[in-house]
Amino acid sequence: MAKASREPQTRRAVIVAGARTPFMKAFGDFVKLDTIALGGAAVRGLLQKTGLRFDEVESIVWGGVILPSASPNVAREIALDLGLDAGCEGMTVTRACASGLQAITLAAAAIERGEYDVAIAGGSDSTSNAEIKLPQKVVHALAPLALGKPTPADYLGVLSQLMPLSEILPQRPRIAERTTGEVMGAAAERMARRNEISREAQDELAARSHHRAAAAIAAGRFEAEIVPVQTPSGKWVHADGLVRADTSVEKLAKLKPVFSRDGTLTAGNSSALTDGAGAVLLMSEEKARALGYKPLATIRSWSYVGVDPADQLLIGPALAMPRALERAGLRLADVDLIDMHEAFAAQVLSVVKVLGSKAWSRARLGRDEAVGDVDPEKLNVHGGSLALGHPFGGTGARMVTTMANELSRTGKRIALLGICAAGGLGAAAVLERVEG
Amino acid sequence: MSDFLVDLGANPTARKLIKSLGLPLPLPQPLKRERGAWKARPLMDAKVAVGATPGAELSAAIADALSAAGADPYVLEALRPAFREAGETHGRPAKPLEALGETAKLAAVVFDATGIADVAGLHAVYEFFHPLVGRLAPCARVLVIGRAESAVSVGSASAEATAAQSALEGFVRSVAKEIGRNGSTANLISVARGAEDHLAPVIRFVASPMSAFVTAQPIRLHDAAKRQGAARLTRSLEGKLALVTGAARGIGEATARTLAREGARVICLDRPGDEAAISQLARELAGVPLLVDLGAPDAPATIAEAVRAASSGAGLDVVVHNAGITRDKTLARMKPEQWDSVLDVNLAAVVRVTAALEPLLREGGRVICLSSIAGLAGNVGQSAYAASKAGIVGWVRATSARLAPRGITVNAIAPGFIETRLTAAIPMAIREVARRLAALGQGGQPEDVAQAITFLATPGAQGLTGSTLRVCGGAFVGA
Repeated sequence: MAKASREPQTRRAVIVAGARTPFMKAFGDFVKLDTIALGGAAVRGLLQKTGLRFDEVESIVWGGVILPSASPNVAREIALDLGLDAGCEGMTVTRACASGLQAITLAAAAIERGEYDVAIAGGSDSTSNAEIKLPQKVVHALAPLALGKPTPADYLGVLSQLMPLSEILPQRPRIAERTTGEVMGAAAERMARRNEISREAQDELAARSHHRAAAAIAAGRFEAEIVPVQTPSGKWVHADGLVRADTSVEKLAKLKPVFSRDGTLTAGNSSALTDGAGAVLLMSEEKARALGYKPLATIRSWSYVGVDPADQLLIGPALAMPRALERAGLRLADVDLIDMHEAFAAQVLSVVKVLGSKAWSRARLGRDEAVGDVDPEKLNVHGGSLALGHPFGGTGARMVTTMANELSRTGKRIALLGICAAGGLGAAAVLERVEG
Repeated sequence: MSDFLVDLGANPTARKLIKSLGLPLPLPQPLKRERGAWKARPLMDAKVAVGATPGAELSAAIADALSAAGADPYVLEALRPAFREAGETHGRPAKPLEALGETAKLAAVVFDATGIADVAGLHAVYEFFHPLVGRLAPCARVLVIGRAESAVSVGSASAEATAAQSALEGFVRSVAKEIGRNGSTANLISVARGAEDHLAPVIRFVASPMSAFVTAQPIRLHDAAKRQGAARLTRSLEGKLALVTGAARGIGEATARTLAREGARVICLDRPGDEAAISQLARELAGVPLLVDLGAPDAPATIAEAVRAASSGAGLDVVVHNAGITRDKTLARMKPEQWDSVLDVNLAAVVRVTAALEPLLREGGRVICLSSIAGLAGNVGQSAYAASKAGIVGWVRATSARLAPRGITVNAIAPGFIETRLTAAIPMAIREVARRLAALGQGGQPEDVAQAITFLATPGAQGLTGSTLRVCGGAFVGA
């Protein structure tokens, strides 16, 4: 791997602000809001919060995992729905759970390349509005009826093709790997076994995630980033719906394993299906200052990697994080805050474990030393996806927003982000506080 | 080319019925094979038991090979430190052997016997394998790792050490016959001093489904051929040019396909009469068709010219001398021209063509010849054929020494009874006997030979040279 020590940029993209909807359990309060509506709510909130003129926004870059098949370019739909300037173009990207971060790094790269000065990037997902798919067999069988001038014989022919019934029932959506057929929880369960992550350690991490998120909410820490959302029924939702302040290791220990009878993963130490959206306002530094904004942070580097999904599906961040650090010319010890997406407690702990392994580092990164030990006090200081939920495309913007705000608020310098994603993908980014 | 009993044995109901009726039908276990390209982790989640005696020297290499291949190791307590680093690297922590569930079946049992230096030490082999041999899953692997004779120091004490190491050979040959009906194989890998680094890729091959028909033999590793750089585990033949003679059908065709699957560009050679088959195969593999009569005097020059053209002068990496003929007659009935043509195509052509290609072979190249179990054991009506195939064994031994400084390895493959067009022509009764006498109770497939050839062609086989690898399912007779 080539060492990517990047040339000093003549232009620097900065994070000006971030906003997100509350994150709600799927099929809860947000059931009637699709991914475009949720994204629109986050972007509208961001614009209101920053007071940015609509016609300043030149582009929306959006990430999503469950894209509406009739209008997959969610970014453009958001711009049109909100009545942004018609010149605000839009692009939608998908990179599984790294989609939101992908959108943000793409926007930063475009700004640094001089494509535009102001962009909004983020992502959203509504698992409540996942489309129930008809099997391709049905689609192919119905084609003559849909596309031609069918005769009665055609109708009979189609009927005969559709037997047996079990093959044509709509398929329940599930988060399974296309290549291995393995559902993500089962993959995480295998990772727990292979990295010897105990049930207790997982439950502890989950409880800590909830307690820290609850403390952040109680302290008003998320008020800077959450924008209230009104549902079609008129109800206002102000706060995240999944956080449980009263959970404990003891309560979590009572839950039954869900992916394997003798397993260690439970509904308590796995992230829940979630509806929500997050958006980040990015500008060139000059533009931000010209408009009178105080930039929060800049993105020093990022890294996207792939690992074999049949091996350890969600171990990717353990490669992406050290690589992003290397590109920024930093070491783990230089990092003040670490924000890791908590798909499963077992996955976070597996990544933390191999980051501390010399043998792993030698084999996978070609280094003589371990990447380093992750200090629990720096990791997910305001909780993570286990407590807050994980609206796939929305998580990246949530993490960037929380970390940018945290750097700015505390005066700390460096935050490291890590995200695992389906397909064996891993993502990481290094944020640095912008002075003055 | 189907084997009725193998097909029948593949049907669980029929299997049960025949067993419960007590019918005297041998039901060979259908062998587990790998049809696709080599995988990064051929032993994914396979339960493997590992043992060793005190003083064992190669346990870390074994740990690395098994963990990297994706296996779940269950090891003797004394071995756990040796497995720690590999386990951490690959997320495959070794568990104590006692943690293996009562009913769990083993995909492989591996024993590091390099520490055995006297006859009394052999007791550990019995002690380790005795309780485990009944717990083998179908198509499991028994692997003993020993020391090559040259690695045992010369001296009075060393005669006993040599005896002990040599004993391991008889052990695996017999175990192979005991577990063959289960589709399982047993092999000994004996490692010379200095060849330790060559062990892991050989374990990977022998423990995987790639070696389905390789059993009951010692595989000797030496540090003879000059070392090459680190090799990849998958698509390891990318960027390499291979020549396969007799590629129109059978073992040659399977070999061309397997080499191409690992990334090699293949020159597919056969007689001008096979133009249709060769051009179709070459097109399918994005290779190069080459029509040459190996008996023609100008054949070596023609082939060398074609190789030069195909490689744009860059050279050749792999030669597989697969083309061969049979003219079976008892010596009393054999005509002189029959004798001559068999020896010419099977042996003299190999010598001639290699001589012409030698200057074109690149550093780290491979020469792989087809010998035969008949050549090792002899067969009625095959005096000429067996002579030519035994000749190959000597030729690879001598040539390997000469090419070793260039990092080129020279080996032979000795197939046993393989289900091909050739063997389909053998009378039914003889064919049945030939199949059932093998430890695995069945004939091999051309793909089994192709996999072994491909293994020898990979960079991981650098420790094997001058040797003859049998792909015979544990033939009743043989070296």
